[in-house]
Amino acid sequence: MDMIAPLVKTGVISEAMNLWLAVPIGFIFGLGLYFAGFTDSRRIARAFYLKDVGVPVVMFSAIVTGMIGLWLLSLIGVIDTSKMYFLPTFLMPMAIGGVLFGVGMAIGGFCPGTAAASIATGRVDAMIFVVGFLGGSILFGDLFPVWGDFYNSDYRGVYRLDQLLGLNLGTVVLLLVAASVGGSLLMRFGQHYFWPSPQTEGVAMRRALRYEAPVVVLALAVATVMAFFPTASFLKEAEASWYIIQKADTPAPAATPATEMPATTETAPASAAPVEPARKRAHKGEEGC
Amino acid sequence: MNLRDRFPPVLAGIVIGISMLLTFVVAGRGIGVSGTMTRLVATVQHWFLPELTEKSAYFGPYFANGAVPLNDYLSYLMVGLLAGAFAGSFFSGDFRFEVQRGPRISRNGRLLLALVGGVIAGFAARLARGCTSGQGLVGGAELSVGSWAFLICIFIGGFGTAWFVRKQWI
Repeated sequence: MDMIAPLVKTGVISEAMNLWLAVPIGFIFGLGLYFAGFTDSRRIARAFYLKDVGVPVVMFSAIVTGMIGLWLLSLIGVIDTSKMYFLPTFLMPMAIGGVLFGVGMAIGGFCPGTAAASIATGRVDAMIFVVGFLGGSILFGDLFPVWGDFYNSDYRGVYRLDQLLGLNLGTVVLLLVAASVGGSLLMRFGQHYFWPSPQTEGVAMRRALRYEAPVVVLALAVATVMAFFPTASFLKEAEASWYIIQKADTPAPAATPATEMPATTETAPASAAPVEPARKRAHKGEEGC
Repeated sequence: MNLRDRFPPVLAGIVIGISMLLTFVVAGRGIGVSGTMTRLVATVQHWFLPELTEKSAYFGPYFANGAVPLNDYLSYLMVGLLAGAFAGSFFSGDFRFEVQRGPRISRNGRLLLALVGGVIAGFAARLARGCTSGQGLVGGAELSVGSWAFLICIFIGGFGTAWFVRKQWI
């Protein structure tokens, strides 16, 4: 086919080139985190008091950008989603992990990406947070047998919201864009209601909206167009066999060495039928993060 | 004189979203940060306890067939991330060594809570197979059910904890 992306999977660029290109991509990521104000732990923590809702707005905006970009590029035949690594769902571990992660963020004032970026701006509390983060990681890894079974439980395969809700993929994209816009406006209203300040009213707000409104309208327009296309036009045929969810009684794919992540994700779709029994308490799959 | 104030949240989010989209297009995967941190602790532990680390059910696969854990896509991304954040702060005149804290907490109190929060978040990120970027943003864009559950639960945990640590921040 003529789909050219993902570039490293279609052979347009080499594996080595792919690694080197990660540096400039990371540079953009770091710049984005800095200019979002994410290097300031106080700003991140204030989101949990609705005192500065910039953090969730940035997150919504980043997700919407990536989401529209990914599925639009797939729709117009630029990116071959069957060659991509999609994150699998382990529902309960991810939900419990999310709650704990939120606790850690509210106490520590960072998440790993923002802490790393903050260290690069010289902030000492970020350095201490990362020391703790590394400690938490090593604790999890070394006592893995204690929670290994839970970690590997509730496996749902690659499980998307459109499958969960029984809706078109494009419709879900539109709903999420609309929810992000609505949620962002609601949170800004909440911030202005509970913590009125010069930044939430008048000139400052209108100035921000003047830059933001055009891209928000554009995102809504593109998502509306996408909602008219059936799910199949976003996913290539090769994928049909593997995005079907494995039931709970079907064991998850066997443990694979972390370094072979790209290979396993390529072979998994092709050979969907034979699934090896999971090795108990093994480190399964590769994390995205 | 702080350039950050000139970046409306939606536009800053688009910059982050574009970096994520670029990893989709170039590498066929997403951004991520905590993976590098796991590989870092695996590497450090391997210096001191090589056998134990290689036999570890969790860290062992990182060393399978003589692999070097930090020789990984995310490590390259991390180098760029650090450079990008440094460049942003340096050219904004914002680079300085400082303990960021709320008005009502001591310096050491803040550092202690940063450490405690870090331990909890580090553990949680392993349990959830990723952090805000690698699991939340990337999975969110991929429409992953687990990632959206993770995102919603972050806010449940965060809002639920906020009241107890309010003296630290506001």
